[in-house]
Amino acid sequence: MYELRGIRKVFAGGEAALDGVSLAVGRGEHVAFVGPSGAGKTTLFRILNLTLRPTAGTLVLDGRDVAGLSDAELRRARTRIGTIYQRQNLVGRLRVVHNVLAGNLGRWSTATALASLVRPRGAEEAARALEQVGMPEKLWARTDELSGGQQQRVAIARVLVQNPDVILADEPVSSVDPSLAVTIVSLLRDLSHERRKTLLMNLHSVELALAYFPRIVGIRDGRIHFDLAPARVTRELLAELYAGHRDDELQLERLQDGTRPFGGACRPLPGFAE
Amino acid sequence: MARPAPARPARAFPLWAGAGFAALLVWSWHGTGVDPAALFGPEGLGQIAAYVRKLFPPDLSAHALRDAASGAVETFAISLIGSLLSVGIAAPLSLLATRTLLYRGILFEGRPPGPGARARRVALYAAGKATLRVLRTIPEIVWALIFVFMVGLGPFPGVLALGFHTGGVLGKLFGEVLEDVDPAPLEALQATGATRFQVLVYGVLPQALPQFVSYTLYRWEVNIRAAAMMGFVGAGGLGQRIHVAISLFHEHQLLTLILAIYLIVTLVDALSAYLRARLV
Amino acid sequence: MARGPSAAPVDRFPASPSRSVFPYVFGAVLLASVVFSLREAQVDPRRFVEGEALANVARFVRGAFPPKLSRDFLGLMARPALETIQISVMGTAIAVLIGLPLGLLATSSLTWRGILHERTSRSGRWTLGFVPYALSRATLSVLRSIPEYVWAFMFVRAVGLGPFPGVLAIGVAYGGMLGKVYSEILETMSPRPLETLHAAGAGKPGVILYGLVPQALPNVVAYTLYRWECAIRASAILGFVGAGGLGQQIELSMRMFQFDEVLTLLAILFALVAGVDWISGRIRARLA
Ligand SMILES: Nc1ncnc2c1ncn2[C@@H]1O[C@H](COP(=O)(O)OP(=O)(O)OP(=O)(O)O)[C@@H](O)[C@H]1O
Ligand SMILES: [Mg+2]
Repeated sequence: MYELRGIRKVFAGGEAALDGVSLAVGRGEHVAFVGPSGAGKTTLFRILNLTLRPTAGTLVLDGRDVAGLSDAELRRARTRIGTIYQRQNLVGRLRVVHNVLAGNLGRWSTATALASLVRPRGAEEAARALEQVGMPEKLWARTDELSGGQQQRVAIARVLVQNPDVILADEPVSSVDPSLAVTIVSLLRDLSHERRKTLLMNLHSVELALAYFPRIVGIRDGRIHFDLAPARVTRELLAELYAGHRDDELQLERLQDGTRPFGGACRPLPGFAE
Repeated sequence: MARPAPARPARAFPLWAGAGFAALLVWSWHGTGVDPAALFGPEGLGQIAAYVRKLFPPDLSAHALRDAASGAVETFAISLIGSLLSVGIAAPLSLLATRTLLYRGILFEGRPPGPGARARRVALYAAGKATLRVLRTIPEIVWALIFVFMVGLGPFPGVLALGFHTGGVLGKLFGEVLEDVDPAPLEALQATGATRFQVLVYGVLPQALPQFVSYTLYRWEVNIRAAAMMGFVGAGGLGQRIHVAISLFHEHQLLTLILAIYLIVTLVDALSAYLRARLV
Repeated sequence: MARGPSAAPVDRFPASPSRSVFPYVFGAVLLASVVFSLREAQVDPRRFVEGEALANVARFVRGAFPPKLSRDFLGLMARPALETIQISVMGTAIAVLIGLPLGLLATSSLTWRGILHERTSRSGRWTLGFVPYALSRATLSVLRSIPEYVWAFMFVRAVGLGPFPGVLAIGVAYGGMLGKVYSEILETMSPRPLETLHAAGAGKPGVILYGLVPQALPNVVAYTLYRWECAIRASAILGFVGAGGLGQQIELSMRMFQFDEVLTLLAILFALVAGVDWISGRIRARLA
């Protein structure tokens, strides 16, 4: 699916946010990315969804170097990649239904897109997606009136409507309560599994990552620190990964206490054993 | 012994700026022949009082009222159509005056335009900006003169004049609004595979629309005043009737017309405030 | 609610909320006014292609190029150009003189509501504050609702031709606008710093000087500068009614069909406006 070789990204006037990332992700694979704040996880996802162009390195998507894609090909490729952003990145003044249906934009003609703003096309589809994330009643609400967690779920509903081959979820549960977080992560996992979608997820919660993903990639300072099955991710590795980041170290302490709240869910999915 | 206080930092506004400002004022005072004595002296005050007495009472005859009413309606019509025309001119031009829609920003991070395409787009942007600047630098009244010369007397050249001048003003403001919208939702829309036009419609415009409306209403308030002026060069409305009344020394009628201006301007201000509260 | 052949269980989906009638009423009224206004304003694009219009455009453009740049003409125009600047500066200064006191009086928090909105009873002092408040509001409304050129006209009658009536016209009309905006700035200011000062025992003058003025000043100055930018355009216009400046020259040249002169004058005006915008922008950037 994805093949990254020596990806480097330097923002204008800054240090390298990504510094030589090489990685291969197969079709249908589920990968969790963990790492301290500022490690470059979001930047990596923006490169993977073809929004940012790497400063150096090659990104191969389904056997094609994306640097060589034309405008139209680039758009078609994006249609197949769904992104759930860390900040929800929704249009606040539009109703929820339009924000959800925007997942269709890659398929819609310009005329259809315009018409749908007047009379939503496929509102049932949007309602079904919202029901899957547990808030069907918000279909007609104005998006900026929703709470942070609700907006996050709207963003997830949009990706459900988009129905892409790859789902990139950048901390999709950062602003929902813990029990809903479990629901949403397992929803995304099960859905991706059923429909053979590739699922890449950034997670601040190491517990969730270890519990739900058969492959964990640790990122620190723009580099891949480890790339292992959850069973092989040791406390020492995690301690190194988060060294110097106090909040995250606290989280690890809780982990080491031996309370693994989602331990029961930690079963490798069939077909994805390492 | 107290420690010496730290040195005072340089003023944000140095003294020479103050001196320059004072000099500007004095120079302007002399150049414009400001003469408070003439105004407030017995002679000046007497002259003003005499003029004001001549204005009163307003002419409330049926004929004068009808004239004022039709002038007010015409002025209102000029301002409304002129404002709408200006939106029609500003909206497309402002798209050209928005760098983030043409060649830079999040929509062009994934695949920057090649050097040739970029140069063309920069040129397009520069042309859009320059057009808007020319449109708004020429005052309404000069546009009115030009259009009277082209299409003849009447309210129509007034409409065109308002449309062109205000089109330039609004185009600049709209462009600034468009450049200021939050790029995060645009990135997300683009990531679904949306075309640039779809991003414009689903992401940029919903964010910009309230400000567009608010600026347009604000300019409507400016335009109703301008529409009342346009008549001076033969472009219809109350201005034309005021011009006639003054030339013929019909002072009472003049006061009626001024009252009509006051009414129509106040009405439009109130309407605009109401719509702003309602729509934005 | 279900549209199309979707097999979804219909009752599960919330129906589109019933919208208010406002958009429909608004749309209908707008449409009616536009249709009416189009007739009233005698809008007729055909007038561009009929008769003399195109020939006139050609005449105008041919006449305008090249612009007249002879030394005599430029020398003659220097004075009206400078006069335009002078009128705008003086007019804005007078507008501040008129707008500031009236604006302060028209600020409800300063006159009758109390700076911290503490005065609520209809006491004698309340009335004492309310009457000047209402009066100054009304005055401001009259001043700004009569366009500057009408004022100019009347001042020409009262004090004679020349730049002085132009100054007065701008001063009076813009005084009304400045006063209104000043009072809005003062009223929307955050009361918290004021409360703090009040709690620290500051009297009303102290609260005004240390709380109100520093908070309001940047906005007040920025808006005044913005008005100055408008004044330079206005002072060019006022020439059309005999109140000096560039406008008078533009009208003369236009009436004499000297389009090359018109183009030069427009270029001068362009430069003046750009210059004032630039200066004012620099000052505003420094204040922000
Ligand atoms: N648009 C940008 N311009 C400049 N620097 C940026 C930009 N976006 C990100 N960075 C920098 O790149 C680095 C990586 O940021 P990134 O958002 O990828 O981190 P992250 O791993 O997602 O962090 P978090 O876990 O807090 O979301 C940071 O140092 C950040 O400051
Ligand atoms: Mg991030």
